[in-house]
Amino acid sequence: MERREFLSLLAATAAAGSAGASALPTAAYAAAEAKKIKIGFLPGVVDPFYQVMQLGVEAAARQLGIEVVTQIPQTWGVEVQTPILDSMVARGDLNYIITAPTDKDQMIGPLKNAADAGIRIITVDTFLGDGDYAAGPVSFPISYIGSDNVEGGRISARGLAKAIGGKGLVYINSTNPNVSSVEGREIGFKEAMQKEFPDIKVLGPDYNLDDMNKAQQQTAAVLERERNLAGVFGTNVFSAQGAGTAVVNAGLGGHVQVVAYDATKAAIELMNNGVVTLVLAQKPFDMGYLGVQFAQADAAGVTSLPRRVQTGFAIIDKQNVKDPAIARFIYQTPG
Amino acid sequence: MADTGPKAGPGMAGTAEIIGRTQRLVFFLSRMWAWAFLALMIVFFVVTVPIASNGSVHFLTIRNSQNILVAITPVLLLGLGQTFVIIGKGIDLSVGWVMSLASVLSALAARAVFDAGMPLFVSVAAALLAALAGSALVGLLNGVIIAKLKVPAFIVTLGSSFIVRGIALLMSENTTVIGLPPGIRDYGNDALFYYIRGEESGLYFFRRPEVSGELLRRMDAILPYPVVFTAIIVALAAFVLRKTQFGRHTYAIGGSLDAALRTGIPVDRLIISLYVLSASTAGIAGFLSTLRFAAGSAVIGDPLLLSSIAAVIIGGVSLFGGAGTVIGTVIGALIIAVLTTGLVMLNVAAFWQFIVIGTVVIIAVLIDQSRDLLVGRDRPGSGS
Amino acid sequence: MEPLLSIRRLTKRFGGLVAVRDVSWDVYPGEVVALLGDNGAGKSTLIKCISGVHNADEGELFFEGKPAQFARPIDARNHGIETIYQDLALANNLDVSANIFLGREVKLSYLGGLIRMLDEVHMLREARDALRSLEIHFPNLTRPIESLSGGQRQAVAIARAVYWDAKLVIMDEPTNNLGVPEQQKVLELIRRLRDSGVPVILITHTLPDVFAVADRLMVMHRGRKVTEKKISETSTPELVQYMVGALDDTR
Repeated sequence: MERREFLSLLAATAAAGSAGASALPTAAYAAAEAKKIKIGFLPGVVDPFYQVMQLGVEAAARQLGIEVVTQIPQTWGVEVQTPILDSMVARGDLNYIITAPTDKDQMIGPLKNAADAGIRIITVDTFLGDGDYAAGPVSFPISYIGSDNVEGGRISARGLAKAIGGKGLVYINSTNPNVSSVEGREIGFKEAMQKEFPDIKVLGPDYNLDDMNKAQQQTAAVLERERNLAGVFGTNVFSAQGAGTAVVNAGLGGHVQVVAYDATKAAIELMNNGVVTLVLAQKPFDMGYLGVQFAQADAAGVTSLPRRVQTGFAIIDKQNVKDPAIARFIYQTPG
Repeated sequence: MADTGPKAGPGMAGTAEIIGRTQRLVFFLSRMWAWAFLALMIVFFVVTVPIASNGSVHFLTIRNSQNILVAITPVLLLGLGQTFVIIGKGIDLSVGWVMSLASVLSALAARAVFDAGMPLFVSVAAALLAALAGSALVGLLNGVIIAKLKVPAFIVTLGSSFIVRGIALLMSENTTVIGLPPGIRDYGNDALFYYIRGEESGLYFFRRPEVSGELLRRMDAILPYPVVFTAIIVALAAFVLRKTQFGRHTYAIGGSLDAALRTGIPVDRLIISLYVLSASTAGIAGFLSTLRFAAGSAVIGDPLLLSSIAAVIIGGVSLFGGAGTVIGTVIGALIIAVLTTGLVMLNVAAFWQFIVIGTVVIIAVLIDQSRDLLVGRDRPGSGS
Repeated sequence: MEPLLSIRRLTKRFGGLVAVRDVSWDVYPGEVVALLGDNGAGKSTLIKCISGVHNADEGELFFEGKPAQFARPIDARNHGIETIYQDLALANNLDVSANIFLGREVKLSYLGGLIRMLDEVHMLREARDALRSLEIHFPNLTRPIESLSGGQRQAVAIARAVYWDAKLVIMDEPTNNLGVPEQQKVLELIRRLRDSGVPVILITHTLPDVFAVADRLMVMHRGRKVTEKKISETSTPELVQYMVGALDDTR
């Protein structure tokens, strides 16, 4: 949901609550408001996406006067994230932890321990269990705020379909077969194509194992094989970069449309140089900002926070990249 | 490590000869298997790809062969340095990250020099220098610690790979280095010749002809510059390994460190040179990668380390040291690339690629082991 | 006659262990001197001090009348001292000519020294000649030597020592692991070296070899020299006594 919508929801809830309880003593609410909270922020890894998320966290914290302790793992993985989480818990002064769990199953244990120690958990960008904290197997986190990779895959599919005119052959190039984020994007992409664009056939995915050179090689081979390839979906920037290079080198730049997932500055440069056609942007700023807001709301006694917030996407192409309203979604930090 | 050959007692001179002949045959076959496998695979794909596509697609097209050659350049460059090091009974686990560091350094250098007003050519040269300087320095450190402090190569290069990784991530500020001079992509993707098929056909040299549309699609790039560059380095490496004193001494250290020491070979200096060499080839790989993708990336080399070692092993370099050739490594890299391209063209599911390549590597190691078992060679110690 | 090699009061320690203690010895041109002693007597350590593998802690060394210090093996080789170690110090993966020229490869120079490549043709020819002069025949000189018999490998090691115009040849247990005919060949080679004026220091356990080929001998026991004699002045039982420490001329 949009930020504005959420804030008005919050205001409405608060208003309804206070209206209905005007006759009751407000001591409980007053006491809750006075409590100063401290938040720990533990994203997945050091990269532009989480750097923008940190901007959102810090913006909200500044406006609400909340102290945030941030620790960023150097590499992606539970073996790196867990010790940092444990040390955050051991501090003893954190009330909330906003985190992007690096594994949806293995981080349940460590985060549950944190919850048992009295720290409330909010997950951003990635989720625990199945992401449904209301009805799913994991229910201790307050909320999951993030883009749905599956939805992102669908939106990428629609963007690519539009770019190729609704019919033709497309190809997916992805990184690893067992990483949930790119896996979700593949699933969403295939699903949308199958349901909404029956004239489009999807090939792949091939896995380049985070090797741009391999992404290029695989895409080049597919281009050799399929003379009518119309579009390529790179499930992350690396894949898109390699695939796009193969397209350009085959002389097909502009004829084969390439979609990149995640709007890093590198992706935008690729688009400006004609290597990719479309860039899908998530909204990490929203995730970070809302995470802090939710913590504050929870501390103030709000019990009706949505358990799932879809922060949505923006599609950036050569036409709208100049528009500030769209350009703000590029993952870049000032300075 | 003691060098004792097969022992011959009285009257066993004749048997030694017969054993020698059989050994030689097995030796020869084991060295040749990689060639045979490559030829077999190419034939396999040439036959099956048209069948699978109902005659519309062919495997050995000009474009495909060029794609394969481009694809092997990073693995091959890493493998070249690794070939020297492993023949010398060492190993270099830092080449992946050195390549990444070199990619970042060359991107930063190209950008800085170009922004300072220098022409494109100068910024590309600066990029190459930056890549070589940074990687050679790492190699020097590796070599000195391994040779002088006698710490095992496995540990030293593993440790330095972490340090190099940290530096690469730091210098790139954890993101891809972009904003490189426009036109740098051409250095990495243009080719020596261009051939336009069909109508208005023609052969063009050195510069991508300014065509568009249909002509662009019928244009084949032949011998892209990264391939040419790599080929020159491969030729140099083969010459040095086979025909120079440095190469022979490398084999000597791998065959018997004792013999090398006692005959006066400057072993320490040689070992340091080997690691500078492997880091430098990794540096060139990083530089070429920056040109190809017009971006410096600190994570680009990580997946390539294992592939480079696989190529080296498949190509016949013995993990026990003392044996191997540059051409073998080229064959090894080609096998991996041909497999990858061929399986994609056959539309085979991704995990089959992993399985096949892994199987080929294991077969290569088994052949390597059995070859040495027959000869009674010593097992490796901690490597030097 | 002046000794070719003289060592005075040579001592070598490894940590707390004294491997060679206070040994003084002369070796003259044109003789074969046997160096005897039981395991651990210090024979190998002594010759490694002479050949530059180890550096002595105390004592002096004179070669050709002048004081000498061999800090590294290459120094000893450059002075003309060639050593054939017990493990031969051969590179199994290289061929015969590569082994003979190991460390001293002959190169061809192009472009004013810019390109230097191995002169394999020259080295192969020289290797063949060297082996022929030693009357050793090899079927194929270009294969890796790991496929050769023990005796052939021994011959390559000797050829290497002989080719470089050695002034002194040291052999450590050269007939171990050899068949009888090959042992005789090696002894014949030693005699031929001596006859051409090159002295040979022969470390061996095999007393029959000593009596077959040596002129003089020196016995070590627990790092010390216990006796020095001419071959004609002693016998096997007596030598055994010296080797086990039952007899000692220095006490």
